[in-house]
Amino acid sequence: MNTATVSKLVIGALALAATSAVAADGARKGCVELKTVAEQEVEYVDALGQRATRLVPAAKVVPGTQVVWTVTASNICDKPADKVFIDNPIPAQMSYVPDSAVGAGADILFSTDGRQFADPAALRVSEADGSARAARSSDYTHIRWSLRNPIGPGQVAVARYRAALK
Amino acid sequence: MSRSLLAGAVLALAGLMAAPMASAAGAPAGLQIDNTAQVNYTLGATSVSEPSNTVRIVVAEIVDVVVTLQSPAVPVSPGATGQVLVYRVTNTGNGLEPFRLTIDSALGGDEFDPAPAAPAIYLDTDASGTLTPADTPYTPGSNDPSLAADAFATVLVVHSIPAPLANGNRGRSLLRAASLTGTGAPGTVFAGQGAAGTDAVAGNSGGDADATGEYVVADLQLAALKSAVVLDPFGGARAVPGARITYQVVVTPTGSGTASAIVFSDAIPARTTYVPASLRLNGAPLTDDAADADAGSLQAAPTRAVRVALGTLTQSSGPQTITFDVTID
Repeated sequence: MNTATVSKLVIGALALAATSAVAADGARKGCVELKTVAEQEVEYVDALGQRATRLVPAAKVVPGTQVVWTVTASNICDKPADKVFIDNPIPAQMSYVPDSAVGAGADILFSTDGRQFADPAALRVSEADGSARAARSSDYTHIRWSLRNPIGPGQVAVARYRAALK
Repeated sequence: MSRSLLAGAVLALAGLMAAPMASAAGAPAGLQIDNTAQVNYTLGATSVSEPSNTVRIVVAEIVDVVVTLQSPAVPVSPGATGQVLVYRVTNTGNGLEPFRLTIDSALGGDEFDPAPAAPAIYLDTDASGTLTPADTPYTPGSNDPSLAADAFATVLVVHSIPAPLANGNRGRSLLRAASLTGTGAPGTVFAGQGAAGTDAVAGNSGGDADATGEYVVADLQLAALKSAVVLDPFGGARAVPGARITYQVVVTPTGSGTASAIVFSDAIPARTTYVPASLRLNGAPLTDDAADADAGSLQAAPTRAVRVALGTLTQSSGPQTITFDVTID
């Protein structure tokens, strides 16, 4: 893994967020600016001849490939944003890659209908015959990152998951 | 900026992206997939909800094809013409794709090279699975089959068989289908060449595939045709107890070559009794005794059956007619 490249990517996203906040100054009432990015992981050989991976903008997405979805929440005000949760529907024609959702300082909840969110262990779905069973990752339609702490002024929260194109 | 939050981004990179897979019935090329996240939070006492930007990704085309042989080894005679191999070309990619068809009949690993007819490749226009006058000759660049995702075309390949050849000789021919978008190692990108202006990517097949068919110079084929005539005790033709059934079996040898030690055998049907000394070959009576020199016999076990040793036959031997009678018990 190439950590240096990853850090650069995130800083790049932050710079972008700051720019648009200035452009939208006065027009927006919100304090948290949300930015979604679609990327693909590709393998390459680094300067030392080692195989490594990096994220590149999603293109050439063919069935079976995974897309890394990154949602960045930036607090562009001087007040803290509290009780923050970020929702992302898993796009149609894509399926959530099990255990791929991450977000530091967040409780990650899933939903199979976009209304009820729960911990994976507590999530159940109804079968056609009326019986209920534990939800599988392929049943998930939405993901929620519920932040345990406020996002302070100038701070950023990152949520990320992978989904594979069916 | 919060360093602890950044760590989340780093962790997320664990794991490798799977290589593109050929996926029949996958998301179609050109499909637009939009994704918008939403954030909810409170500022003091105010609840706020805001969407993110919408990210659109467009499904690229994966170029994949499978060719399968539909006909088993085709039995042929030396010098035969118009011998057909049947193939199926299936677009296993996710977009509309034209394919170029080529054949190679000068393969190794066989005893003869089938000679391609002119034209040699036909599209099975009437979907009959066989070559008919309705089928369209294939002209490269003119009617390359253009197949939607998961669609297939049946392709007929016609050869003549050289002569002379020995029985059992095999001749092989290969049909190849190659994507007109391009071929290359799996993962090769054809920028902007995919359906709806997307990029196209070579799938596991590399965008081309082939299958090999085979002609076999067949041993003699024997066809048997059985018929029955019923004569009841009252002069009618009802199958009642006591009625006599005369069975006739015509064995016809076709094809090239010679078959030897041919023995015809036919079981006596249940609830009937063989009429002694009724067995005939080409009209000549045969005895029921296996020990004597003539060709006929009645076998008692394991099942009651008539047997006729037909010996050595070729096509020029002509049809062999066997008759025997039973009565209904």
